[in-house]
Amino acid sequence: MLDTIASAQAPLLGAVLLWAAAVKLFTRRGRIRSQTTALSTLLGKDRAALGYRALGGIEALVGAALLLPPLWWPEAAAVVVMAVGFAGYLAYSRVAAPDSSCGCMSSKHVPISWRGFTRAGWLLAAGTLGAFATQYWTGAIADRPVVLAVLAAEAALFVALSPEFDGAWLIPLRRLRVRFTDPLGGDTGGVPLDATLTRLHREPLYRHVALMLRTDVQEYWDEDEYRFVVYGASLDGRSTTAVFAVPLRVDAVETLRVAVVDESTGETLLQLDHAPDEEPESAFAG
Amino acid sequence: MSTTIDRRRLLTGAALGAAGVVTGSAFGSFAPEDALANDAVSALEPGMPDPNFAEGLVRSIDDDVISALGSDGTLWRVRVTSGTSVWKLTPTTFDKVAVGDGLYARGARLDDGTLAADSVWANIVNLKAHVVSISDRKIHLDHNDERIVAHVMPGISAAVYNGTPAISDVSMVQVDSHVQVLGAWIPGTNEVEVSTIYAAA
Repeated sequence: MLDTIASAQAPLLGAVLLWAAAVKLFTRRGRIRSQTTALSTLLGKDRAALGYRALGGIEALVGAALLLPPLWWPEAAAVVVMAVGFAGYLAYSRVAAPDSSCGCMSSKHVPISWRGFTRAGWLLAAGTLGAFATQYWTGAIADRPVVLAVLAAEAALFVALSPEFDGAWLIPLRRLRVRFTDPLGGDTGGVPLDATLTRLHREPLYRHVALMLRTDVQEYWDEDEYRFVVYGASLDGRSTTAVFAVPLRVDAVETLRVAVVDESTGETLLQLDHAPDEEPESAFAG
Repeated sequence: MSTTIDRRRLLTGAALGAAGVVTGSAFGSFAPEDALANDAVSALEPGMPDPNFAEGLVRSIDDDVISALGSDGTLWRVRVTSGTSVWKLTPTTFDKVAVGDGLYARGARLDDGTLAADSVWANIVNLKAHVVSISDRKIHLDHNDERIVAHVMPGISAAVYNGTPAISDVSMVQVDSHVQVLGAWIPGTNEVEVSTIYAAA
């Protein structure tokens, strides 16, 4: 049985290598992508694209050789050598260029993580197993079709370890979970301070007095139909407090009001419920 | 507590006009030109640090003076008064600021080098990140390949969708989308508490 499984590794390894090669050789962004991989640190910016494509060529050769007859042991040995090379390259990237992308299987930016190393480990294991093949893979599958199940499981493992495929299964799964569990809760019904401030900032009255304001929001509270927002202000050199009464509801009949208070005396220095009309100034005046 | 209530009653009354009303005209114009003319707004050379702004990690707090170590090695002394606004996830009070917090302060430099703060922001962060997954009141973010856990705080966190005014419903944030998070960093961790999250919906 084990030699049948060993013999059946070739098509999977071949398909994976051809996929990786196609990304490196035929994607239009391959050259650009190669700049973000650690290859540009290893080989230099100019040679990175060439090295990237050369690696793709080698992968294509080995992949095609695995898929096509005859059965030849150096094919599996080449996979083992490549798997060791990949793991070494990942380790090097992790140390030398931690911000770089793996660049292994797609032009998507993929940070180097434990998944990449596990995938290289799988490639090593599958290649080692493939070295013990005793017959060409079509024969092995024809003899015992049950190995297809093993191959499917391996393919699933490979997909699970490849961040490049997350968009196809992991993200929809996470979205589905969010839809059913609703982890963030719904509307709490409150009016966020941010909404009040957005509304305040758009009011002509706020713009009229904004240059007096010296601080960010000191405190705020709700009372009746209003939210009161307090700022520190400066009026004629006096340190004062500006308090805005902002209607809480968008469709409220109440209007925005502001008062400037000297808290040391309790005296209200200014109270407005609308911006005074000022002479419209032309930008082109003078 | 009673002083808070008294203060609020005074300010509420002032804003709603229960007190003797003085109109703005008595104080002249508040047009921008006049306001700027009265104010000592010093023209900064481009590229020069703003002398009225401080940034750093809080090293110690003595009464109303914060010592903060800036990221460029500057040691700041920031004086906080009763008129200083303090932000730490929400507008709050000075006693909530703790040693280890990240600090931004704006105010006026005094002669002895102390910054008299008008506004203080503790642990404020502004992140542009990618939503990796969402679990129980947490949004897991990828920020330049680093994981950050953003806690959604019920009653505090707000969401801005497509630039419309903020609402308290954060649940429209989607997995695998790009977001901007304004929040408060929890010192010593890779976690933030969300003040406002900007997303597309």
